[in-house]
Amino acid sequence: MNDDYLWDKTGQPDPEIQKLEEILGALRYQPKPLVIPRRRNYFALMAIAASVLLAVAAGTIWLRVRSRDEAPKQQAKVVVVEEAARPAPPVNKSAGNQSPVVANNRRRKGSASSAVDRQEALKAKEQLMLALRVTSQKLHLVHTKTE
Amino acid sequence: MKSSFHINIKMALIACLAVLAPALVAKAQDSRIQMGSLDHLAVKASQTVDVNIDERLMRMAARVFSDKKEDEREVKQLIANLKGIYVRSFEFETDGQFAAADVEAIRTQLRGPGWTRLVNVTSKKEGMLEVYLLFNAEQIGGLAVLHTDDRELTVVNIVGPVDLDKLAKLEGQLGVPELGIESPKPKAKNDEK
Repeated sequence: MNDDYLWDKTGQPDPEIQKLEEILGALRYQPKPLVIPRRRNYFALMAIAASVLLAVAAGTIWLRVRSRDEAPKQQAKVVVVEEAARPAPPVNKSAGNQSPVVANNRRRKGSASSAVDRQEALKAKEQLMLALRVTSQKLHLVHTKTE
Repeated sequence: MKSSFHINIKMALIACLAVLAPALVAKAQDSRIQMGSLDHLAVKASQTVDVNIDERLMRMAARVFSDKKEDEREVKQLIANLKGIYVRSFEFETDGQFAAADVEAIRTQLRGPGWTRLVNVTSKKEGMLEVYLLFNAEQIGGLAVLHTDDRELTVVNIVGPVDLDKLAKLEGQLGVPELGIESPKPKAKNDEK
C-alpha cells in the first residue's frame, strides 16, 4: 500500500480514504470575500429627532413671545372726550363724569381678594355689556339696511 | 450615499412640517383680529370705545350675571362659549381723520382663510358696513363687524361660537346705561353745519 496519496495525492488512493474524502469534502474551505457587517445608520433618526425638537422649541418660544406681547393689554376702557360747544348726549348719566372706566386683568391675593375680584368682575360685566351693545347696534343697523 | 443623504433631508423636512402644520393651521383659524394698527387714531377721535375682554374676564363677568333676570340670563347663555370680545370704535369731529390703509389693515386679516364676508352694505348715510364670519368646519368660530363712514371707524371682533340671532335680539334689552354711542350722527352733522 502506497501512502503517497495521503501526502501529495499521488499513487493509488485507498477506497475508504476516497469515501472519507468525499464525505468531508462538503466541509472544505470555500474562498469568500470578507464582509464586514455595517453599523446601523442612525443619522436619519437623529435628524428627525433634532428637527422635531427644534420645531417644538421654536413653537414654544413663539407662543411665549406672542402671549407676552398680548397678555398685558387685557384692559377695557371707554374714553369719552366732549367739547364744551358740543351738545350733551341724550342720556349719559352714568358716563357723565367722563373718566375712563378701566377693567384691569390682574390677579390679587389676600383676604380682600374676593371683593376685589367681584369689583373687577362687575367692571368686566359693564364692559362686556358695552361691547355687546355696540355689536348688537351694528348688527341691527345691518339688519335694517338689508331688509 | 448621496441618495441616502437626500432621503434623510426629506424625512427631516416632513417631520418638521408634521410638527409645524397643526400650529400653522391653528394660527390660520384664529378668529382674533389684531387691532393695534388703529391705536394712533385715539388721539384724533372725539369718542373712543376700546373694549378688550379675554376668556378669563368673560368667565369672571359671567359669574356676576343674574340667572333670575331674563335679559342677563340671555347674555350669560350668549357668552357661555365665547373666548373673547374686542371692540375698537372711533368717532371723529371732522371727515377724513382715518386713512384707507387703516381700514385695509383690518380687512386684510378678514380675507384670511376661514373668513367669509356675510354682508356688505354701503349707503351714503351710514357708510360701509361689513359682517364677516369665521367658519370652523360647519360651526361659526368668530364674528367681525367693520363699520366705516366719514366720521366713524368701528371694528367688533367676537372670538368663539356666536349665536347671531341671540346677539341681534339683545338690542334694547341689556339695561346698561347709554354711553352716547347711539347718538344720531346725521342730526349731529346737520347741527354743526
